[in-house]
Amino acid sequence: MKTVLVVDDAAFMRLSIKNMLQGTDYQVVAEAENGKEAIEKYLEHKPDIVTMDITMPVMTGIEAVRELVKKDPNAKVIMLSAMGQEQMVKDAILSGARSFIVKPFKQEILLKTFSQFI
Amino acid sequence: MGKELLEDMEEFEEDTQKDKYLTFKVDEESYGIGIGIVTEIIGIQPITQVPELPEYIRGIINLRGKIIPVMDVRMRFKRPIREYSDRTCVIVIEVRDMSVGLIVDSVSDVLNIPEEEVVPPPEIQRNSNKYVNAIGKVGKSIVLLLDCNRLLKDEDYLMMKELENKEE
Amino acid sequence: MSEMFSNTSMLEMYIFETTQLIGQLENMMLEVEKKNSYDEGCVNEIFRLMHTIKGSSSMMLFNSIAHLAHSIEDLFYFIREQKPLTIDNSTLCDLVLEGIDFIKVELEKIKNGSEPDADADYLINRIKEFLLFIKGGTPNLKEIIRPEKNKKQQYYIAPDVKQETEEVNYFFANIKFQKGCEMENIRAYTVINNLKDISEELINFPEDIIEDEKAEYIRENGFDIYIKSKSSKEDILDLINKTIFLENLTFKEIEEKEAKEIFRKPEKIILEKEIKIPKLESTDEKAEEKQSTPNHVAQNVISVSVTKLDQLMDLVGEMVIAEAMVTQNPDLKDLELENFHKSARQLRKITNELQDIVMSIRMVPLSTTFLKMHRIVRDISKKQGKEVELQLIGEETEVDKNIIEHIGDPLMHLIRNAVDHGIEDGDIRETKGKNKAGKIILEAKNAGSDVLIIIKDDGKGLNRDKLIEKGLEKNLINKPIEELTDKEVYNLIFHPGFSTKENVTEFSGRGVGMDVVVKNLEAIGGSIHVDSIEDKGTTITLKIPLTLAIIDGMNVRVGEARYTIPLMNVRESFRPVKEQLISDPDGNEMIMLRGNCYPIYRLHEFYDVKTNIKNPMEGILVMVDQTEKSSCILVDELLGQQPVVVKALPNFIKNTKNIKGIGGCTLLGDGSISLILDVNGIEYGE
Repeated sequence: MKTVLVVDDAAFMRLSIKNMLQGTDYQVVAEAENGKEAIEKYLEHKPDIVTMDITMPVMTGIEAVRELVKKDPNAKVIMLSAMGQEQMVKDAILSGARSFIVKPFKQEILLKTFSQFI
Repeated sequence: MGKELLEDMEEFEEDTQKDKYLTFKVDEESYGIGIGIVTEIIGIQPITQVPELPEYIRGIINLRGKIIPVMDVRMRFKRPIREYSDRTCVIVIEVRDMSVGLIVDSVSDVLNIPEEEVVPPPEIQRNSNKYVNAIGKVGKSIVLLLDCNRLLKDEDYLMMKELENKEE
Repeated sequence: MSEMFSNTSMLEMYIFETTQLIGQLENMMLEVEKKNSYDEGCVNEIFRLMHTIKGSSSMMLFNSIAHLAHSIEDLFYFIREQKPLTIDNSTLCDLVLEGIDFIKVELEKIKNGSEPDADADYLINRIKEFLLFIKGGTPNLKEIIRPEKNKKQQYYIAPDVKQETEEVNYFFANIKFQKGCEMENIRAYTVINNLKDISEELINFPEDIIEDEKAEYIRENGFDIYIKSKSSKEDILDLINKTIFLENLTFKEIEEKEAKEIFRKPEKIILEKEIKIPKLESTDEKAEEKQSTPNHVAQNVISVSVTKLDQLMDLVGEMVIAEAMVTQNPDLKDLELENFHKSARQLRKITNELQDIVMSIRMVPLSTTFLKMHRIVRDISKKQGKEVELQLIGEETEVDKNIIEHIGDPLMHLIRNAVDHGIEDGDIRETKGKNKAGKIILEAKNAGSDVLIIIKDDGKGLNRDKLIEKGLEKNLINKPIEELTDKEVYNLIFHPGFSTKENVTEFSGRGVGMDVVVKNLEAIGGSIHVDSIEDKGTTITLKIPLTLAIIDGMNVRVGEARYTIPLMNVRESFRPVKEQLISDPDGNEMIMLRGNCYPIYRLHEFYDVKTNIKNPMEGILVMVDQTEKSSCILVDELLGQQPVVVKALPNFIKNTKNIKGIGGCTLLGDGSISLILDVNGIEYGE
């Protein structure tokens, strides 16, 4: 069972992802609403992989990825972005995110992306 | 008596519930209802009357905090009422989201009546036949299988009410 | 357990969250409109809210909502980035509020299980036009300059290059993505990035693959990677095949000799251990500072499904009854049980506390409902060209969730009335010596086990003569005019069908409103009261119970049956004497009390209950307040007052007949059932 940390300020999105992973080999062990919380939860749970929304209050996804990778260079963070956020996705990847998924997305894409890393 | 019966019922597996009927007596006749809708069987309890309801709906009882309406099956079949004794049972059924207790003279066994032994009812329109939708053969005797939906819904009564409303 | 993750809960979550966000958004827009300015935090917040709504709506395939949200998001993105100096604030607010309304309507459709099928194209076009307009009108429009990045990563070399003692393989791969997957440059970059872990060296073509300009090329031709790795062909192939949106892969092993040629480019090697992070927009930092806008839901609050709450309430209610059945069990009567009673008291204390807390969980502040009123005041006053200020007091006052649902509509109607009919036009107000802007105060405060909601306006008030005139017209007056108290005159407005002609506008309807307000209130056991001074204003007071689930009841007995009369309806109870009892020519029984005459209803007759008490002088008369009058109900005896948990009559009975005068039932301490009376149903005829 691989563990997942879901980071998104929208409860709906977090639930969507949890839903998609229900019954798969991936288990959501923690959730966070902003970048700051994401780092705390990451250090607490040491998940195998992280999904991270780009636009969030308090600390954006990009900042969070940078901090996270600083603390754990092996952190596997997948950015979730909306259409038209190319620049931010780029920044995120350059900051250490491993891959990205564009919303809206289906379960298949999520699982396939995960399988690339864990 | 009811409790033992329930325990027996619990031993049956789900998919065999289809042909199982709980049988009970009103006067000399045996009636049966599908085991699937029976939630429990209890002894007769103090009934709180609720006004303005048809006579056969005797009122409501307190079942461990849940309020359940009870219907006297004899009266439903338009038979003269009998006094309740300690043999009188209440069969609690659940139909379409409603819980109702059926007051019967006594409860008999749970019988297995396979499909082959079930035939449609005769054409005679006696009072109780309205609610019988099939006849089950068990050895030499017969069990009248009840349609609980019709038992609970009184089309006559509703129709009457509508007529009353129109006249007002 | 799996129900938690069914589609229904997704939908519920979507509806819940989006409704909340829309609410926040609306409040923010109204503030902005009032202040006529935008601060950065505000703009950012609006952008973020729209962005979130866009995201979840597109996940749920609610495309109109998603597209609309997108267009508003674009609009605010521009405002955030460019900070245009002048914007037509009024139009902007109108557009956004229109968008909010559209989404509200669609959400209603979704809530009701229908399709959100409305078309937002017209509105979206207007928003886009507005954006173009402000783009054109903004001086010094500059290209948004993307921050410079210090990334120079064409070649990657593993940090510790050591002497190759192990077997090394060389491969070539050309990867092509599926058409339409977008951001091919970034995707290509991630593929290469991810191969790093199992490669010694990588060379890619085109170079600078993450640059935007490369996307087109990669779309057409795919991109090439030369891989030097200790891993096996299978392992590498495996990894590459996992690429998302992979359309075509050309993969082959290459000869060492050939490879050495390709990999021998020392002067171009740049080793980057640290990637410089591009300077991000300052607005993000600002958003960090302005963490909690006033509308932000506090972090230590969770949302709970109402069904679960109801179940909890039911269980606690039953526990209270069960506790009573234990501690007041007839088996224990007359027994000396000192220790038992002590423990029973402790149990009772805990049970009561538990009940209090559970009740309080269901309590919800009136603020959400009150805040909605701002929008209504704004809309009507704008449309009618009046200036009206709405002041809220005590909106933190809490009531049971069930009640909140029934308060919204009546309140809206009353506020509408106040703005529409109460507040005069600005000029008229000035001639009267009032402020040009009208003022409406909406206040909530606790009063014992009730909550008072007061709507007070400083408008033109009610005209006694006009009301009387109308009352006479409709035959509502059955007293000499001079004897009518002001209160009675004002209360005429609550009669169905009552409405003076000027009252009918598109907002307030044809007198259909007021009596519906009254009915809604009565449905929750509330009442309404109006007072007014001509030319000074009108005050309407609503009195609503704190909660529906538990009421204070007066238990009574008739024969063997038990009934509970809600205490809020009970005025007094007494044993009558002969001199007070009278009957009229038709045989209706009445009682004279302090100069007033009240009808008597014999409960045993009303419900055909067997009892020995047929003479009122042997029983007790309970005087109850009904909607329009008071009556006396004859019962055998009073059993005492206590709070009771209201339980609905079983569905089976409700489906069979709507029993007049019975509003539910409850379980008494000894396990018996008591029927709760709905006093308004106790009357003959009709």
